[in-house]
Amino acid sequence: MIFPFETLVAEHREVGLVVETLIGFGFGFTLERAGFGRAQKLAAQFYGSDMTVFKVMFSAIVTAMLGLVVASGLGLADFKAVADSASSSTYLWPMIVGGFALGVGFIVSGYCPGTSWVAMASGKLDGLATVAGVVVGQVVYAELEWRPILKGFHESGDLGNLYLWELLHLPPRMGPAIVAIAVAVMAVGCFVGAEKLERMLSSRADPAAQASAAGRPGRVVFAGFATAAILGAVLLALPTGTQAHGREAISISQMDLARRILDAPWKVRVVDLRDLKDCAVRRIPGSECVPADKLATLQLAYAGTNRDLVLVGASDLPSIPPQAVAFPGRVYTLAGGFRGWEAFALAPPAPPSPGASPADLEEYRVRAGLNSAMTGMKAAPPPPPPTAAPSGPRKGGGGCGG
Amino acid sequence: MERNPNRFWNPYLAGVALGLVLLTAFLVMGKGLGASNASLRVGVTALEAVAPSHVAHTPPLAKTTSDGHPLDNWLVFEVVGVLLGGFVAAYTSGRLKKEILKGPHIGSGARIALAVGGGAIMGAAARMSRGCTSGQALTGGALQSVGAWAFMLSVFAGGYALAYAMRREWR
Repeated sequence: MIFPFETLVAEHREVGLVVETLIGFGFGFTLERAGFGRAQKLAAQFYGSDMTVFKVMFSAIVTAMLGLVVASGLGLADFKAVADSASSSTYLWPMIVGGFALGVGFIVSGYCPGTSWVAMASGKLDGLATVAGVVVGQVVYAELEWRPILKGFHESGDLGNLYLWELLHLPPRMGPAIVAIAVAVMAVGCFVGAEKLERMLSSRADPAAQASAAGRPGRVVFAGFATAAILGAVLLALPTGTQAHGREAISISQMDLARRILDAPWKVRVVDLRDLKDCAVRRIPGSECVPADKLATLQLAYAGTNRDLVLVGASDLPSIPPQAVAFPGRVYTLAGGFRGWEAFALAPPAPPSPGASPADLEEYRVRAGLNSAMTGMKAAPPPPPPTAAPSGPRKGGGGCGG
Repeated sequence: MERNPNRFWNPYLAGVALGLVLLTAFLVMGKGLGASNASLRVGVTALEAVAPSHVAHTPPLAKTTSDGHPLDNWLVFEVVGVLLGGFVAAYTSGRLKKEILKGPHIGSGARIALAVGGGAIMGAAARMSRGCTSGQALTGGALQSVGAWAFMLSVFAGGYALAYAMRREWR
């Protein structure tokens, strides 16, 4: 895999920031040229006479989606890896309510947060006012989101990183391509409908909201979508895809894992790959003892993705074992393995000084909790016997299984 | 090159151009596009000048300072790029002009007040849904995130629901 260039977010961060500025330049330039610096043109979307917002947004979504499918098919990138790193996980209820509220704010202000920056840059004072409003709204909500009054709602409907192809139970390899083709077909159908609707409604001539018909460029774009869709599907159907190369192990630090098993143990599944008798003596709280040769019995390829998988070896694991490669969710390996973990968790943390910052206090709380869990009076219960393997692949979804 | 402020790119070609920018962000940076988080960082910068200890004790605000200065972040650099790109595009198309955009039946003061109010609603909403039309609908939509698609449909629903009530501002 060539893309993305991970050094641009790590050691060559400065170069990455320059690249981001250039990407932003392209973003701002195209938004302006599409007409998105003009409030009337954006608002016209909601009066039916000018569907530019809809056309531009869906063309952009289809283009980027098909482009990434083709790049994945060529082995240049991995659709799911990019999706995991660039999209946020799904919090269904806040996203539905937030989306509705954002639509309301859109028609009231005439911009969305991104286009208000463009309007401001092109001298529109109402754009500047919207930018100021967004700043206030962001800070006020950030003040409230972690307090008891909003916390429950803000974190409701947490489905993790959930994608359309998973929702439709499509295979992980072909799924993104199948959904992309379906979305492209749907978008072209909607574009044809939008053109008809505009012709019907724009008889009330409104010079500020002049719709431009699809014309020849439109047909060229549609043909391009079709070509990219077919190309992506064919490339992914070929056996030499990205996922045949195996995947690289992402390392998780001891502190990060400690935070996760203490704060949100339901979102992580820790599998200890050491010998059963070592694992029985001492292990990470909440971990399962599954020796490396028994890993196949977990049927990880069919496991749900709501928990991230953390693999623990005696020391650093050089690569992800083949039985875990097919796991559809995220796979981490514990940095330093169990030996490093023991050194980290068995040393009692030094109590923080009176004036310690909240971050230090929080770190102390995690380490102290961990230390007492590992060394406390209560001995760890004996490891559960390995359960018999189910006869066939388990179906995903439905209840709490998985 | 002729400059006609009322001429825009063909919407489908503009969409493809925007999609290619987004695809570049995916492939080169492994990230998408975003517009609203930079606003939070601007707000935190202002708040830090007035009440630094309050920022340190409010986790969502303190999180923006974890890498040092709240403005030292890729999303801020991206928005600086958006401002430059928007400025150049507006200048070269003859749309760079200090003005207030509104419908014919509304005063400037009312329009500005509505812009601030609508902006504040959007700011809170974008925080609630972990992203706005750029970070959630466009980026998440292209990556087939379920939440992003639920968000996108809700945005259109919200806009159409209030369009009739707001018609005096635009028509």
